Amino acid sequence: MRTRRIVMSILTFTLAFALVLAGCSKGKQDESNSSTGSNTTNQTNSGSSNAESGGSGDLDPRLEKYGLDENLRFKETRKITVEVYDRGNDNGTPPESNFYAQWIKEGMLRDHNVEVEFVPVPRWTEVEVINNLLAAGEAPDISVTYSYPTILTYANMGGVLDMAPYLEEMKDFLPDLWNLLTDDNIYWNRDPKTGTIWAIEARLAILNRINTFVREDWLKKLNLEPPKTLEEFENMLRAFRDNAELLLGKDADKMVPFSISFDVGWRADHLIGSFVPNDITDKEMFIYGFDDRKFLYPNYKEAIRVLNKWYNEGLIWKDFPLYPAGDPTEDNMMKAGYVGAFMHNWDYPYRNGEDSIHASLQRLVGPDAAYIAVEPFPNDKGVYRKYLSPPIDRKIFFPATNKEPVASLLYLNWISKEENRLFLQFGEEGVTHERMPDGSYKALTVTGEKIMNSPNNLDYTITINGIKLSDPDLTVKSIANGYAGVDKRYIEIAHQITTNEGRIGKNANVGEILAEAGMGQALSEKRDNILNQAVVAPVDQFDKVFDEGMADYLRSGGQAIIDERKAKWEEIYGDKTMLD
Amino acid sequence: MNTASLNLNKTLVYLKRYWVLYVMLILPIAFFITFRYIPMHYILIAFKKYSIVQSPWEMPWADNNGMQYFIQAFNNKDFLLALRNTLMLNFLDLLFGFPAPIILALILNELVFKRFKRFTQTIVYLPHFLSWIIISGMALQLLAPTNGLINIVLRRMGFDPIPFLNDPTWWVITYVALGIWQSVGWNTIIYLAAITGINPELYEAASVDGAGRFRKIWHVTLPGLRPTIIVLLILSLGHILSSEFDRPYALSNKLVTDVSTVISIFVYNYGIRGLNFSLSTAVGLFQSVVCVIFLFAANALAKRFGERGIW
Repeated sequence: MRTRRIVMSILTFTLAFALVLAGCSKGKQDESNSSTGSNTTNQTNSGSSNAESGGSGDLDPRLEKYGLDENLRFKETRKITVEVYDRGNDNGTPPESNFYAQWIKEGMLRDHNVEVEFVPVPRWTEVEVINNLLAAGEAPDISVTYSYPTILTYANMGGVLDMAPYLEEMKDFLPDLWNLLTDDNIYWNRDPKTGTIWAIEARLAILNRINTFVREDWLKKLNLEPPKTLEEFENMLRAFRDNAELLLGKDADKMVPFSISFDVGWRADHLIGSFVPNDITDKEMFIYGFDDRKFLYPNYKEAIRVLNKWYNEGLIWKDFPLYPAGDPTEDNMMKAGYVGAFMHNWDYPYRNGEDSIHASLQRLVGPDAAYIAVEPFPNDKGVYRKYLSPPIDRKIFFPATNKEPVASLLYLNWISKEENRLFLQFGEEGVTHERMPDGSYKALTVTGEKIMNSPNNLDYTITINGIKLSDPDLTVKSIANGYAGVDKRYIEIAHQITTNEGRIGKNANVGEILAEAGMGQALSEKRDNILNQAVVAPVDQFDKVFDEGMADYLRSGGQAIIDERKAKWEEIYGDKTMLD
Repeated sequence: MNTASLNLNKTLVYLKRYWVLYVMLILPIAFFITFRYIPMHYILIAFKKYSIVQSPWEMPWADNNGMQYFIQAFNNKDFLLALRNTLMLNFLDLLFGFPAPIILALILNELVFKRFKRFTQTIVYLPHFLSWIIISGMALQLLAPTNGLINIVLRRMGFDPIPFLNDPTWWVITYVALGIWQSVGWNTIIYLAAITGINPELYEAASVDGAGRFRKIWHVTLPGLRPTIIVLLILSLGHILSSEFDRPYALSNKLVTDVSTVISIFVYNYGIRGLNFSLSTAVGLFQSVVCVIFLFAANALAKRFGERGIW
């Protein structure tokens, strides 16, 4: 009896397995069928365009060489793959096949006879995933990453295509790309000696970066003015702490006067910037600018000492080092109204519509409750200096496996064309946006297939991050329109302060710094550990923790990077300390 | 001549009778060759300068007769720290985590109410199915110094909060305790199975001789479990230098990296994220070689003490 039952169940299982297998192979067959089907239609297409172009007289030899007609259409259909970030949002759409992806595919096929296939890459692990794809030789023809060192590593192994010759040759046919990125961004990474270009830089249209926020209603309740100096800011935090009963009632024990996360360098950026000497030279900024949180900038330690003091006075959230990136605990505290002040992305409390910190505060605490951007940290010359990023964003590169560099460049040009860009950024009028009387754009809340997975579809407009209309005034108005349900005053203040008295990063192009290869992640990890441990150290231990950490950081590769950067700067720029 | 043909005949008869079994072996052997042995030639990366566009045979040899990456690893302070932490955490796991399921199995075995026993057993082995990511989330909710439930309760009762996660020493304790909590139930299964295999006559004989509960445990159950314990101990020793990734990675935070960075995390940060594939292969190879040495040594030791060993 028993054996029989076992035999029967094994048989059933095998049968089921076989069925599944059969199903799989059938699916594959269907797929290949359909693809051959589309190929034939395309061939007829290209055939007809061929006939048309046959009539026109002499064709530019470059176009001839690459099989293009005078309208920049390929005579035979080409196929490229393009990376697109997958943010995995709730209610989001599949990034490789949603409304906008289809729109691009149709447009590229129509205008250039290029078939586009999107390859989704998870946004939050993009570096790791693009690594794996590159190592496997399966990276998309147009790849995008924020990590230039990754590109450089693969370029040195022969895994990346040099874009320079193609850019030179095709420049005349890529006017939109050149208009948007300009020589600056296109030649940003050109090696000063060999002239190779492994990647071009997308445009960061809005340089807004970080703001310091405080609870406006708490200031009013305690009769305080928005702080204008470090001392006032500190006194304000103490006032928050000492008046927890008044401000939070029965939740007084949940009071967090100032909140940071494990990413101390980012979450204290304005404070740190105010300790950097005002007359820091471009040379110093380059030599010590390897770390993306400016860990090596002069006087960094003194800024962290302030945080250490605050922590030991009970002004900083005690649990901050424990929560990993992306954990919502801290946001939830802000939303519930327990946090007095913090530093973060310039629009952090206002972004995400109904889900925003601002909207939650208004719902849970009351209509007065709101964060407002303040500017409390002057530097040694009394300047409210903000260190801004250079106008570069993602790095676009072609892996060595890209067999269609020209089609890929035409794609980049197509995506940079103003009308295409604006359609992707704002969608359809009346559906995803409306035009205000003043001509500015206002995004509408959408659900369903036309929802945008990323702000202004920035995952598709890979050559630009942020909106850029021909009229800068309309751009600012359109930005403010983007925050539904937030009083315009807050956005305007935040927008004004975040770049006020800013110093924009410049391109010191001295070629590859060999000592940096493969060190980025390990050193950032070390930096975070040092900063976290230094902030929570007892006051009398602070110097020891920070100095030992810094010594370890320098020994583990930091010093080698500084030395090489210094040598290379002097090789290219000589005695100059400032860039033009 | 004659014996040779006789032998050949014998072999033929044997093959004729059992060929089906050999045919059935082909599939698993093919699996191991394709997915376990062929990829092994990538071990060469540890001794060569890695390049994605070349096969491991073509890559140039690394400096210092190919030992560059081993030298680099052992000159790296972080690697030595990771090595120390791996040994420390695995040793503590072995010290506290290894006896725990044996004790639990003995306790469960003594339970009289069968239904209660089964219920308890199910409950204790459930955590095995939780991933470390979930456990670390729960740990944070329960053990964080200000927002953690346990510390909130402690504070209400007038005690100081315990820094379960943010003090290195406490973190090690939490790490080991959570490891026991997660795996103890699952690991008892094998011991409980071994206990059912013990001849009941031995217990009856012991009762006749007047042995009480503890005597029976000491003189019958534990000796009955000895071969199982030895085999599992040998296997655990084979893991002394191997390091899990998700458990330390998920439980770690920026304040305890001095004790929580184990070899796998080092490999992740320097090797995978830093794109030093040769370095990470070298470290992995070192780990495997040490593990194999431990395995052989433990096995030989067990045999010397008259146990069966694992082969």
